[in-house]
Amino acid sequence: MSYAESLSLTLSEVILAAGALVLLLVAGWAGDKATRLISWIAVVLLAVAGLALLGPAGAAFGGQYQADSFAAFAKVLIYFAAGASILIAPRFFQLADGSHMGLRAEYPILILLACVGMGMMVSAGDLLSLYVGLELNSLAAYVLASFMRSDQRSAEAGLKYFVLGALASGILLYGISLVYGFTGTTAFDGIAKAYGDGVSMGELFGLVFVFAGLAFKVSAVPFHMWTPDVYEGAPTPVTTFFASAPKVAALCMAIRVAVVAMGPAAHQWQQIVIFAALASTILGGVAAINQTNIKRLLAYSSINNVGFALIGLAAGTQQGIAAVLTYLAVYVVMTIGSFVCVLQMRDAEGRPIEAISALAGLSRSRPGLSAAFAIFMFSLAGIPPLFGFWPKFLVFDAAVAVGLLPLAAVGIATSVIGAFYYIKIVKIIYFDEPGEEVFAANNNVVETGLMLLTALAVSPIGYLAIPVLGQLSDRAAGSLF
Amino acid sequence: MVDLSEYLPILLFLGVALVLSSLFVFGPMALNHVTGAYKPNADKLAEYECGFPAFEDARAQFDVRFYLVAILFIIFDLEAAFLYPWAVSLDKIGWTGWFAMMGFLVELVIGFAYAWKKGALEWE
Repeated sequence: MSYAESLSLTLSEVILAAGALVLLLVAGWAGDKATRLISWIAVVLLAVAGLALLGPAGAAFGGQYQADSFAAFAKVLIYFAAGASILIAPRFFQLADGSHMGLRAEYPILILLACVGMGMMVSAGDLLSLYVGLELNSLAAYVLASFMRSDQRSAEAGLKYFVLGALASGILLYGISLVYGFTGTTAFDGIAKAYGDGVSMGELFGLVFVFAGLAFKVSAVPFHMWTPDVYEGAPTPVTTFFASAPKVAALCMAIRVAVVAMGPAAHQWQQIVIFAALASTILGGVAAINQTNIKRLLAYSSINNVGFALIGLAAGTQQGIAAVLTYLAVYVVMTIGSFVCVLQMRDAEGRPIEAISALAGLSRSRPGLSAAFAIFMFSLAGIPPLFGFWPKFLVFDAAVAVGLLPLAAVGIATSVIGAFYYIKIVKIIYFDEPGEEVFAANNNVVETGLMLLTALAVSPIGYLAIPVLGQLSDRAAGSLF
Repeated sequence: MVDLSEYLPILLFLGVALVLSSLFVFGPMALNHVTGAYKPNADKLAEYECGFPAFEDARAQFDVRFYLVAILFIIFDLEAAFLYPWAVSLDKIGWTGWFAMMGFLVELVIGFAYAWKKGALEWE
């Protein structure tokens, strides 16, 4: 395959990378005045890159890059989440930053560059292209976390994310070097062949370190400790981005590594994934109960959700992977919706409020926002008439199908624990006496539209999408087996 | 008899998790303990050759511009590091290699132009 053919398979990454570079020059010369223009161009670029995914499938650059329907499915979710994170940003930064400088022009560009990295992550067919993609995403993410430079918490979040993220990359690289040392290759098919001949002790250590690094990136327990701090400190639009796009990318990357590269060692990684899944669902459910900050609570909620998604991966079958993909699609929509709701928590001057207690009695002053909040909370809890129930059902179904009955049982039990704190928020909104805090009215069309769209998607209307979503995720999962 | 060797991966995973997490909790504490017993004097504490004084009032100011220059130096230094192996193997990697490197250089130049425009290269 020629170089040009390889490049054409990576068309969506080429579009995003070239677009980001041109926009960087625009940002350099036009400055922050052009932020609005750059943001919209960035969203258009994401849409175009999404259309480019319809192109042919195949392996590019000697198998280092895989363009298949699995990668395409993940990238659609990533681009959607990235686009939403760009659209909700300007108003937040305009009001939250004391200096009223507004959003800097580099924000959408960093998100585009992170998307290039995430596209590489989900398409990687080699441990080294995987690592390059991961770093490209991470480096942009570190800057994004500390994007409000004058805000102490934001700077702290960036530093924490950087130090712990670098540690995770180190662990992952150590695992990669062990795998390379004992199998003699970094290509996924070669690794699969070596693991198929029996798993030696060295290969086992490599597998463990690679999975520890991956668990860090998806923030699965016991490598979750950075998540609440980073989610709390980062500006809310950035937190929206962190909770959606990189989660999808890291989980899909982990799936490809587990299924394609280390598929023959499924018996070994299954134990790790089961442990991480159980620990994440339990800790994510229990630790969220006492949180008073809504962003921290949603951070624990995302840990909890990653646990459920890992249950599908633990099954290791095509059905399980398809369930994870459906789970991720619904999770992204729910997450973006709930964070747009959190964005509405602003006082009269527009400063963000993050205390859960400020939501007391919200239903009387803002019935629409309260209804949206309630829909997302019930959906995150997985309560049946809402769409959040369906993917949970699918992952449990997949786990039961391969005989992981105890895992599914514990998962269901922890989702009941999780339901407690989700419903507590609904109770605070609807039944508590209102405090003196009054939220500023929302007159932003984009945010209202996004909230409406996501709320409709996770409402019972979402069930209409099951045939399409099911078929797409089945096909995506099928391309790995 | 249950074959416990099947559970080795989970044991290793837990071991790695335990060691790493306790390392980051107890490591700094132990380090504190060890370094707490030192007997300092002015010469020992003096910074080596150039560089900033390591132990000062935390509010002392140092110029953040040094770091910017250092980062830019690393970026363009790495470029040169990539260019040498590329140059000596150009007859083997052919036009593909040539275009790949040109793509890399164009990206680097765009970054350079951005840094320049933003004033990263100006000391004052």
